Amino acid sequence: MAIQLDCFVASLLAMTPPMTDLLRSFRNLFVSLQLTVALLILSLILVFVATLDQVNLGIWAVQAKYFRSFAVLWNVPHTDISLPVFPGGYFIGGLLLINLVCAHVYRFSLGWRKSGIQLAHSGLILLLVGELLTGLLAKESFMRLDQGETKQYSDSFTYSELVLIDHSDAELDTVVAIPEALVADKKSIQHPRLPFQVTVKDYYPNVTVQMRNQSAAAAAAAPSPVTAGLGVQAAMIPLAITYKPDERNIPGAYVGITSPEGPLGIWLVSPLLGLPQTFQHAGKTWEIALRSQRHYKPFAVTLLKFSHDRYPGTEIPKNFSSRVRVRSDDGTEDRETLIFMNNPLRYGGYTFYQAGFDNNDTTTVLQVVRNPGWVLPYVACVMMGLGLIIQFGFSLTGFFRKRTAATSGT
Amino acid sequence: MIPPRRYSTFALLALLSAAAGCRDREIVTYRAPKDPAPAAQPATAPVAATGQLPDGHPPIGQSTNPGPMGAMPDGTAPTVAAGNALAWTAPAHWLPKPAGSVRKGSYNIPGDEGAVADLAITAFPGDTGGLFANVNRWRGQIGLPPLAQAELEASVQHLDVGAFHIDFVDLTGSGGNPPMRLLGAIVPHEGQTWFFKLTGPAPLVARELPAFREFLSTLKVR
Repeated sequence: MAIQLDCFVASLLAMTPPMTDLLRSFRNLFVSLQLTVALLILSLILVFVATLDQVNLGIWAVQAKYFRSFAVLWNVPHTDISLPVFPGGYFIGGLLLINLVCAHVYRFSLGWRKSGIQLAHSGLILLLVGELLTGLLAKESFMRLDQGETKQYSDSFTYSELVLIDHSDAELDTVVAIPEALVADKKSIQHPRLPFQVTVKDYYPNVTVQMRNQSAAAAAAAPSPVTAGLGVQAAMIPLAITYKPDERNIPGAYVGITSPEGPLGIWLVSPLLGLPQTFQHAGKTWEIALRSQRHYKPFAVTLLKFSHDRYPGTEIPKNFSSRVRVRSDDGTEDRETLIFMNNPLRYGGYTFYQAGFDNNDTTTVLQVVRNPGWVLPYVACVMMGLGLIIQFGFSLTGFFRKRTAATSGT
Repeated sequence: MIPPRRYSTFALLALLSAAAGCRDREIVTYRAPKDPAPAAQPATAPVAATGQLPDGHPPIGQSTNPGPMGAMPDGTAPTVAAGNALAWTAPAHWLPKPAGSVRKGSYNIPGDEGAVADLAITAFPGDTGGLFANVNRWRGQIGLPPLAQAELEASVQHLDVGAFHIDFVDLTGSGGNPPMRLLGAIVPHEGQTWFFKLTGPAPLVARELPAFREFLSTLKVR
């Protein structure tokens, strides 16, 4: 992409004759150091404000609002109107990228003495491109494994999905996964792989679910439209959306299934229901569930043992580690490995970090990151480091040469 | 005015971000290995009119997919009340222990001859069933029969600490040598209910009663 942009800007800048004053002023703006400084100051302010706002919104929402956006929007109180009040990360980063590339191309001159600066600039451009790729392509999820458990998928931190699963095949399930964003639209959904229509009657982004005889609040909750499944005796109580990093919103919905022959029922679905709910249709068993969005992998991970070492005689944690077995579907890989703090497992384009534990040290939680651009920041840093060493190296040798000349002259 | 060719850069960026956004609204179909069979048969018919869960069903309202891992030593976050709204000061001889995923605070209180009492601090959204249900739940935990509604008021002391109204119970079990004793404090706070439950052998809990009441007086909003 950097190469394409280089070519694009080069061709733009090559349109010198006849360059109008307007074009020239644009060129001067985009190659100017003032623009770089202004953008860097804007990004400083953005990072500062976003860091403060993290107390209110948490890390995920802050990333989306300030950095993975073209403009920071401010919601006018008591209205649905959002106004852009500050440039977002994509805007500042994008302009910075254009500015750097333009300056790079415009001031480019071949020669050893400039090679350090050129290399450092190229590294910075690569760093910005890497962040753009990370923002667009990186996926983070988590894998929660009990000791002895094997999983072939990780769960999304933030997104849920409504799934309808055909269990009729003895080997594999057929899953139709409807993302939460579509569920939130509260519409009817007809899909070629589903022999019935799915209608979301109601949806809440964060709920608690209690049996009606479990608490006074549940008993007093509004009657639900549920006619089938576990939800008949349960109450779904909407909660305020949480933005805290150590909590997650757990959605809930009322979903109706209608076959060509007539309605099959309305189910309460939420990850809070402990067990799957099933129903029969045309001789097949279907499962309906609202669960964390799953990301399946072409390999399976088994937790062999989770270890939580403490300093002797104290409760102070010393080390957390998960011994896991990785088996690929094609049988080319079957090995054990140890994941511990700062020693992730990198396999199949995914990185597995030790991230948490539960259930009296018998369950591990691994953070699973897929970032096709993960190597770019490392390359960029090496380029910038080398560039600066070369640049300062030239200055240093120049200084020594001058001093030697001055010494020999006296 | 933006030079026309510059539009292509913005269009490219807009397309890339739109493409990233569209992926979140796509219905996907795939074939996947079967999940291991659950411990109990799923309910295929409406739950019995008693409102009870099927045998072997895990408690409802506990997420099978707790959220992102907040802090490493705390493990993952289950469905408990949001945040740590309350703060307290515990006596120096109470030994803090890892709170785990449900407790907001947790202490061991050592006694003589290896006796240990446990203080659990938890918080949940809502009133979690109300005072009557919770007192009877605690009674059941130390082997006492449930109270009738009319008997409730006699077994609850009401304390006012700063802005908090605390319902305090002191229950001693009927069996065991020594019997178990439970000091419980229920503190409603901004739509949540906080529970402070000290349980242990009766002599040790009797010794800690003044310290526990003093501890409750240190409660404050964080």
